[in-house]
Amino acid sequence: MSDRNSTALLKVDNLSVDFGEGTPQALSNISFSLGRDEILGIVGETGAGKSLLARSLLNLLPEGGRFTSGDIRLEGETVLGISEAEQRKIRGGRIALIGTNAKALLSPVETVGAQIARVLRAHRDCSQKEAWKAAVDLMVQVGIVNPERRAKAYPHELSGGMAQRIVIAMAMVAGPDVVLADDATLGLDATIQVQVLDLLVKRCRELGAGAVLITHDLGIVAHYCDRVAIMKEGRIVELEEVGKFLAAPKEQYGRALLDAARVRPTPMVAKVEDPVLEKQPETPLLDVRRLLKLFPIAGTPDVVRAIDDVSFSVKRGETLALVGESGSGKTTVGQCLVRLLDSDGGGITFDGADITTMPAAEFRAMRRRIQMVFQEPYVALNPRWPVKALIAEPLRLDPTLDRAATDKRVRQLIDLVQLPAGIAEVYPHQLTAGEQKRVGIARALATRPDFVVFDEPTTALDIRVRAQIIDLVRDLQAEMGMSALFITHDLNSVRSLAHRVAVMRYGKIVEEGDTEMIFSAAKEDYTKALLAAELPVEQGTAQRDRAETRRLAGAAV
Amino acid sequence: MTRFIRYVSRHPGAMVGLTLLALQIASILFAPWLTFYSPEEADPLMSLQPPSAAHWFGTDVSGMDIYTRIVYATRINLLISIVAVAFAFVVGVPIGLLIGFYRNWMSALVMRVFDFIQSFPVFVLGMALVSVMGQEIWNVAIVLAVLFIPMFARLIRAEVLSLRERPYVSAARCSGATDGSIMFRHILPNALTPAIVQVSISIGLAILLTAGLSFVGAGVRMPTPEWGLMVSTGAQQMILGVWWVALFPGLAIVISVLSFALLGDMVKDLSDPTTRERL
Repeated sequence: MSDRNSTALLKVDNLSVDFGEGTPQALSNISFSLGRDEILGIVGETGAGKSLLARSLLNLLPEGGRFTSGDIRLEGETVLGISEAEQRKIRGGRIALIGTNAKALLSPVETVGAQIARVLRAHRDCSQKEAWKAAVDLMVQVGIVNPERRAKAYPHELSGGMAQRIVIAMAMVAGPDVVLADDATLGLDATIQVQVLDLLVKRCRELGAGAVLITHDLGIVAHYCDRVAIMKEGRIVELEEVGKFLAAPKEQYGRALLDAARVRPTPMVAKVEDPVLEKQPETPLLDVRRLLKLFPIAGTPDVVRAIDDVSFSVKRGETLALVGESGSGKTTVGQCLVRLLDSDGGGITFDGADITTMPAAEFRAMRRRIQMVFQEPYVALNPRWPVKALIAEPLRLDPTLDRAATDKRVRQLIDLVQLPAGIAEVYPHQLTAGEQKRVGIARALATRPDFVVFDEPTTALDIRVRAQIIDLVRDLQAEMGMSALFITHDLNSVRSLAHRVAVMRYGKIVEEGDTEMIFSAAKEDYTKALLAAELPVEQGTAQRDRAETRRLAGAAV
Repeated sequence: MTRFIRYVSRHPGAMVGLTLLALQIASILFAPWLTFYSPEEADPLMSLQPPSAAHWFGTDVSGMDIYTRIVYATRINLLISIVAVAFAFVVGVPIGLLIGFYRNWMSALVMRVFDFIQSFPVFVLGMALVSVMGQEIWNVAIVLAVLFIPMFARLIRAEVLSLRERPYVSAARCSGATDGSIMFRHILPNALTPAIVQVSISIGLAILLTAGLSFVGAGVRMPTPEWGLMVSTGAQQMILGVWWVALFPGLAIVISVLSFALLGDMVKDLSDPTTRERL
């Protein structure tokens, strides 16, 4: 091991960064090294300084940032304090950065082929034509089908996964020594995420480059990384081989993260054992029959069949998870249930009444019983309303509540979702993502609904917050005995929350069954593919073998 | 209130804006005590005197004291502009809200009417309206208001078009909010900021348009003290080296427009909770 460290590809030594005199250190005393052919995972929650660290390695600190101590060495030579021209050679040439949200990283007014070619020409002496040809070759290497045509496409014509591949191709153009991937797969579907990461890791191996995967997903770390650094508040609190870390994290914080990332142990048992429920006649609370939703395609007589003949039902006290990748129509189903969209066919029966044909005024009264928790916590809260007004809004549906009763109920709800009482006067932008999510949940639960649609309740949340929200939802559901529809692509949370699972693809339900059954014995290939794309927080055999070989090799030298 | 004081103390622009506004208000309230001549009394013997101790800003071609007229003109100019813009705001904002929120043939029709109003050359419209209604101060205000209503309505409409698709509007609908509640409690407060900023810019524009209308003979008439009119009479003498007749009322326009622009920035910052606490 020590031998490898001495010839480290990238060595960061005691690096500290702050934003001006007297400000707290944004990064403090960061030290780590990265060898050739090694993949280091950097894990931490929002605000831990992960992205700042990535930018530091490229010497691209944000406005006002400055290095206060330490050094970054690339094959023994410092990269700090060298001329701007030399730095440019290193950036993209020897250290490449792959960022989040590839579509935003690509220029919208230039074809992707031209963009790759431009990067090529910046680092290699070749003609326009050669560069274009090389770009197409690179696109083949990153697994893009039909590269000649795709090269002439503009970024908005590509899917998220495709755009991410293009960005990877661009990063690999000059054959970098170090690849930094800053949450490179955030927001991609699980199956695409696995493909993109597989590709990234494969390309790094081929080039013999070292890679730093910055992520908040310990599943990614477990599957792809050799070593992991846990970051908290600008420091690395733990740096360990992945196998050892997963087996026994040394630090309290690492352990907390790991616990939160693991599947919550007991999948909720359906309340069928409840004698009251069992005696009830088998009329489902919500019954969706042959639901149809079409979206016209502008300028053509064609339509998109967003929901194509979907039927399912949810019993009282039951939770159904609707899983599928983006574009499968699962969110559209949720929106039809709360009548944010009108369906084009079929019926939705709620407690015996067909809500698709109900007049809007009549359905408004029904809204007390059917509520929805929105996906993105921040944008679903009016930025000009303080929390107490936000939570009080649905209470206006109950005309019997006077001002004092409303205030009291708001306080109860704030308490219910485990927020501090003082939060009532605060505006949404002052809250963390987790707190925003809780406010959204409090809003949905305000009227004590019988049925709640949760649209992606756990996406875009930090590991620990995600676990907290899952626990909260589970407790609340047990307490209030409501039925729920979970719309998600996070299979991990499905396991801990849902009694039954319905898998959607292209607007249809392809498979439905009890949660345990789907997870243990899925019938459809598509479901199997989804399950296979899930990255559990355990080291795969391949990784373990690699780690073993490394250790032996290290010992031998 | 403490937030307001803290904001002003940290933002010199707001301080300047408020000071200049105070100056204008003082001119409106205390004009007779701040000046030494009558604003509308000609003295042919004192025609075109350069600035001196007796006439601080000099005199114009009819021998009227320019300083006196500038102070008195504040009343006319601010009155016309503020009344016109306030009227346009009060009428234009709800129209914009409605035609942005409800997309039907009515809103399409309203938009075409706005196109019609705005495609008219300002001065042709101004002259036509003023010639029909008579050359009164109030008519100038009405002309300006008619011109500004489409501006505010379009501004609000554009905001509403994007805001009505926001998830928090869907969330409000799920919480049982009615159309009225969504429009006035959710969308309007978030849509107002550009319109509020536009108020101050419009007041400046109104001052300039008033001056322009006076210049083409469709605005207020001599000897009413009005900045634009004073600039236009002074412009004729500029080439003769008589610079003070046009310069000082011109400066008054600049100061007035500037003060409202600065106040617009202040209002914008103070009305937005996402910037408020950073102040």
